[in-house]
Amino acid sequence: MAKLARHAALALSLLLLSSANAATRPRYGGTLRVETRQAPETADPPAFLGAGFNITRWEAGHRAVYEADDNAPGGRPFLDTVDFTLGRPLREQSIDLELGKAEVVELGPNELRRQPAGRKLWSSSPVRILVLVFSPRFDDPRVREALALAVDRSAIHAVLLQRQGEISGALLPEWLSGYAFLFPVAQDLTRARSLVAGARPLTLAVEDPAARPIADRIALNARDAGLTVSISAQPATADLRLTELRIASSDPARALAGIAAALGVPEAARIDTAESLCNAERALLDGFRFIPLIHLPDVYGVSPRVHGAPGITELGERRFENLWLEGPRP
Amino acid sequence: MMFRTRLLLVFTFVIVAAVGMVELLVQGTTRRAFESVEAQRARALTQQFQKEFHRRGQEMVRAVNAIAASNEASDIAISSDPARYYDTAPSLAASHGLDLLELIAADGSIVSSAEWPARFKYREEWITATVDWKQRGAFLRREELPEGVVLALVAVGVTTAGDRRLYVTGGQQLDREFLSTLVPLAGMRVLLYRNLTNDFSPAELIDAHGPVRDAAPLRPLIEEARRGSGEITRAAGLEYVRAVPLTDDAGAVLGVLLIASSRQQMVELESSLLTTGIGVAAVGILIGIVLSWWATARVTRPVRRLAESAGRVAKGDLSTTVDIAGGDEIAQLAAAFNHMTGELSAQRERLVQAERVAAWRELARRLAHELKNPLFPLQITVENMQRARERYPEQFDEVFQEGTATLLAELAQLKQIIGRFSDFAKMPTPEMQPLNLNTLAAETVKFFEPQLAQARVSAGMKLDPSLRPVPADPEQITRVLRNLVLNAIDAMPEGGALTLRTANIEGGVRIEISDTGQGLTPEECERLFTPYYTTKTHGTGLGLAIVQSVISDHHGRISVQSEKGKGATFRIDLYGTPSDR
Repeated sequence: MAKLARHAALALSLLLLSSANAATRPRYGGTLRVETRQAPETADPPAFLGAGFNITRWEAGHRAVYEADDNAPGGRPFLDTVDFTLGRPLREQSIDLELGKAEVVELGPNELRRQPAGRKLWSSSPVRILVLVFSPRFDDPRVREALALAVDRSAIHAVLLQRQGEISGALLPEWLSGYAFLFPVAQDLTRARSLVAGARPLTLAVEDPAARPIADRIALNARDAGLTVSISAQPATADLRLTELRIASSDPARALAGIAAALGVPEAARIDTAESLCNAERALLDGFRFIPLIHLPDVYGVSPRVHGAPGITELGERRFENLWLEGPRP
Repeated sequence: MMFRTRLLLVFTFVIVAAVGMVELLVQGTTRRAFESVEAQRARALTQQFQKEFHRRGQEMVRAVNAIAASNEASDIAISSDPARYYDTAPSLAASHGLDLLELIAADGSIVSSAEWPARFKYREEWITATVDWKQRGAFLRREELPEGVVLALVAVGVTTAGDRRLYVTGGQQLDREFLSTLVPLAGMRVLLYRNLTNDFSPAELIDAHGPVRDAAPLRPLIEEARRGSGEITRAAGLEYVRAVPLTDDAGAVLGVLLIASSRQQMVELESSLLTTGIGVAAVGILIGIVLSWWATARVTRPVRRLAESAGRVAKGDLSTTVDIAGGDEIAQLAAAFNHMTGELSAQRERLVQAERVAAWRELARRLAHELKNPLFPLQITVENMQRARERYPEQFDEVFQEGTATLLAELAQLKQIIGRFSDFAKMPTPEMQPLNLNTLAAETVKFFEPQLAQARVSAGMKLDPSLRPVPADPEQITRVLRNLVLNAIDAMPEGGALTLRTANIEGGVRIEISDTGQGLTPEECERLFTPYYTTKTHGTGLGLAIVQSVISDHHGRISVQSEKGKGATFRIDLYGTPSDR
């Protein structure tokens, strides 16, 4: 009887060991469910994924489905399908991850601090920049400078962004340009107050509702400087807007060109040295038409079922061809 | 104004005053009663508010203490990174039914704010003051929100974890929802003025339905309460309003609770009382008029009779008497009146008698004087004739001739004197016919032209061309004018100026004869029309008496104005009809 019991225990141990090996070993198959805030409504789908997958279904603004390319140059991805749900609010993405309805979701600062300990995260380098952009028709550089001086970036970074990213005094992140600040980033209310005499009230448009708390804090800081800033949902008529720009290239010159294009200003003629890059960026920031605030990374929450190398690059590009999904437990 | 009318007015005034006083008394009593009731109601509502305020305060304290005692608060207190909790307050406030909630670190910096989430890391210095917040209870405070400053009932709780501390301050706004929990009695309403600005702001006056539309009537009361004048009760428009200042510990007025009670009922009652009072007064006045009419008639009848009798006496009827009835003051007055008229009548009789005697004496004197002058030549002439017959018979005829001529002349003068007296005695009744005094004046001046020239008197006439004809006897008036002109010429022995003026006067005409002679003294003026009085060395003194008699017969009036040395003016007013003038 005792011998029989020893045999049964050994068999159970072997079974468990076998099962553990199956969970960590790459396997083919499965559908990776990914959620994102983005909701492009273009006729042609943007490139959500890099190599290894082909889009098979596109519902503009709602859904994009990619299937593994059997003939991919690097070999067929482990995953069969990647199913993107678009336009999903951050909070709901977080809940879906918690409930197992999605395997990869974007995490904002608020969601990030609510994640359980040990949550698997993917994080890029700071590749997005929060920037205040004044309307071309707003002609008062003193008020623009005053607002730049009034914003308490450190409080926004520490509290609202939960220390994600970096306080920014330039359009390009430090890791890309090699220099930190072209712009004063410390709050200086005394000087700001001296600049706003007689300023009229401003309207600030916020494109992303998730950025509303940041806009509210900016309005509060402006109030301390003697500026009245009201939040508006009408970007077309607002005096300035709070927007987020993406660093689209690891080449600083091309990244700056992309930002300039996004801001609607002419591209610098020739950038071939670090000095010319710095000068070009400084020229963009002169006059305080653009007030860089914070550089932010892309952060993803990942289900424990997802295995393999991090699914994003330093620039935040999605690379899912080496991911595989853990099979359902027996 | 007649005595009777005056008496009537006095009676009416007394009635109106009496009714008015009663009305005022009733209205005052009613108002006081209403005000007393309204004050009681307002006090009751104030107490209700204070109870509700206290109850809400207790709720605040309980809610805040519950949050302070929660695990979340402890976690925040001990957390090395409070920034992670910056959005905790809104959910806590919602779960505890608080409008306002802030979690504040020990150094006074806001960790999380429900009412203004963007204010994290801002400092609330007041909360770090040395106050025993557990004992403090709920209190009023101005709270700053993105939309502006609000008035709130707040409490502070403290979480202590080891040496860490977290302040929890929560509360509710004093707004229309708060007011809607108060249940005023019918006809009452509760308003709240939030004293959040330096100057009075109508937008801060709210009731249970929101901002009050017309804050103007309450403004003076609120302004006074804002100045810290304590509780005030006053009428404002159609309401009684009790203003209760809501203060903080330092005595600063943070708000004013207004308990308004409608005066509609009182106004209606006052209106009703007023209407009734007016009605009663009107009836009273009517009755008063009738009664006072009757009473005054009784009182004034003997007085009126006395007045009528006095009038008759004034017109010369001294035989008038008044009937005496009773023994009151009026009867005594009537008796005195009768006695007075009797005395007056007797005195007049005596005066007439005396005047008659005096007249006879004067007549005798004048007759003696007038007759003495011709008699003396008569006597001399007769004695001459007797002496001539006895001593000079040969010259008697010549003396006789001269004597008889003188006798005849003196006799003629005697006859003339007697004739003038006879004329005065037999003044004929005037034969009235329309007479133009302008024409008569011109004829008179023309008549005297030779005498005027001889006496070196220049004659002038200022005649009114619009002079109305007046009924008069032309012959008698001519005699009057000639007499006056002749007197004027006599008054100017050294020459001078004679002026005749005519003018229309009310109800008649006037003619004036002025000279620039030696004038008259006041005494002479007074006696000038007395028969047989003259200022001249010749004449009978009957001329002006005749003139006055003629003018009197024409129902006219003659007067003289003169000063010694400045001439004299005789003025005759003729009316043509008898009058009292």
